[in-house]
Amino acid sequence: MSKIIAIAKKELKTYFKSTIAYIVLMITISIFNIFFFLIIDENREASLRDVFKVMEFLFIFIVPLLTMKIFAEEKSSGTMEFLMSTPTTNTAIVLGKYLGSLMFFTFITAMSLSYYFIIEFFGQPGCLTVLSGYLGVWLEGAMFIAIGMLTSSWTKNQIIAAISSYLILFLLYFSISFIKYFSGITESLIRYAGTWSHAENFIAGLVTTSDIVYYLSGIAVCIILTRISIENRLWR
Amino acid sequence: MIITQNITKYFGGFQALKDVSFTINKGEIVGFLGQNGAGKTTLMRILTSYLPASSGEVVIGGKNVAKDSLAVRRKIGYLPETPPLYLNMTVKDYLLFAAQLKDVLPGQQRFQVNKVLEECNLNDVRDKTIAVLSKGYKQRVGIAQAIINDPEVLILDEPTIGLDPVQIIQVRNLIKSLEHKRTVILSTHILSEIQQIAQRVLIIRSGKIIVDANLKEFLSGKGSNLEEIFLKLHSPQEEQ
Repeated sequence: MSKIIAIAKKELKTYFKSTIAYIVLMITISIFNIFFFLIIDENREASLRDVFKVMEFLFIFIVPLLTMKIFAEEKSSGTMEFLMSTPTTNTAIVLGKYLGSLMFFTFITAMSLSYYFIIEFFGQPGCLTVLSGYLGVWLEGAMFIAIGMLTSSWTKNQIIAAISSYLILFLLYFSISFIKYFSGITESLIRYAGTWSHAENFIAGLVTTSDIVYYLSGIAVCIILTRISIENRLWR
Repeated sequence: MIITQNITKYFGGFQALKDVSFTINKGEIVGFLGQNGAGKTTLMRILTSYLPASSGEVVIGGKNVAKDSLAVRRKIGYLPETPPLYLNMTVKDYLLFAAQLKDVLPGQQRFQVNKVLEECNLNDVRDKTIAVLSKGYKQRVGIAQAIINDPEVLILDEPTIGLDPVQIIQVRNLIKSLEHKRTVILSTHILSEIQQIAQRVLIIRSGKIIVDANLKEFLSGKGSNLEEIFLKLHSPQEEQ
């Protein structure tokens, strides 16, 4: 456990020392703020529903930029050889790295908490609905990070890692748009596999076991696949 | 201390190591020689459990590298050819991170970091970011991480590459000071270095060990210096 924490801390510190993380942070917060103002100004209601939808959409573009380096950089710089020749299990390496990235993502998401207090000043947003919405976007981001970490473990090249990650995230997010072309079990499968309907429930204030299981199992599968991927010695 | 038996390694259809067997005793400093591409780095990676052998067995300190990899890694300090450094960390933070991953007890970590900073003459750059250090300093940080857990076995791939003459002597003295205390495998292209610090020499050519001998006996038997012997062993006639 102490090694997982050590790796997570190192990962988190690395984010705060990298220029790209600050650029991503600044752009994200600026876009969040702009959309928050536009949505509230347009809707004139004390609700973060549409803000959460924008956040969810933006995470598709932001998360791969944060995760592309997780393993790809270690492989290209040779530090993977260091990590894997220390008495640290592959599971600890994967969990530590995931936790570090998740903490940075949580920090980005937490920067938007002020929106709740702003709208609370003007109306009654419904604390539980907002909490459920935050839980939804956080779980979705957590799954995106696990996907990004997995694609980063496939290659030494950060660009390839980011593009692979974009491909998977686009598929998961936009699959709902193509659902009308399918029927029966394929339709149900696409509906369940896509992220859209699950996040929508959380944003509407509906926390269901099925949605939580969807995100947690998605994260677990990606973590297991990442572990298998780094165990695979073909890239060494 | 280190027993390798019939190690073979294939990369696809290419055979990088062919039936490599040797035994290294505790406290020995072994010079590992070979041309580029001869299989030195592959063998070192197998010893550190970073790469699995295609066949054969490696036992270090009584533990099998394939079956008990974590226990073996606890006994090993490894400096790869390119020092594995996190450029945005400070020297002290990096060494502390290495100590945490290498199972140094929490109460001992800072002590060990200070000790290796001292041993590798890194005190004046301890708070500097690794990215701004010269190549020589980076190499020494790489050595420092390798010895942070007082390993029983030290595997060094080109440890003096990029160092200035003064630093080379310091690193050689550091390795020499480990004689009898640690088992050291040292790969280098500087043949005089092997003559100065190693007791034993292993020469590898095209994945095969062609010389495994006590250095003094080997040199006295051949009646010349290591450089001449190495060149002779790698002459086109010998390779045929």
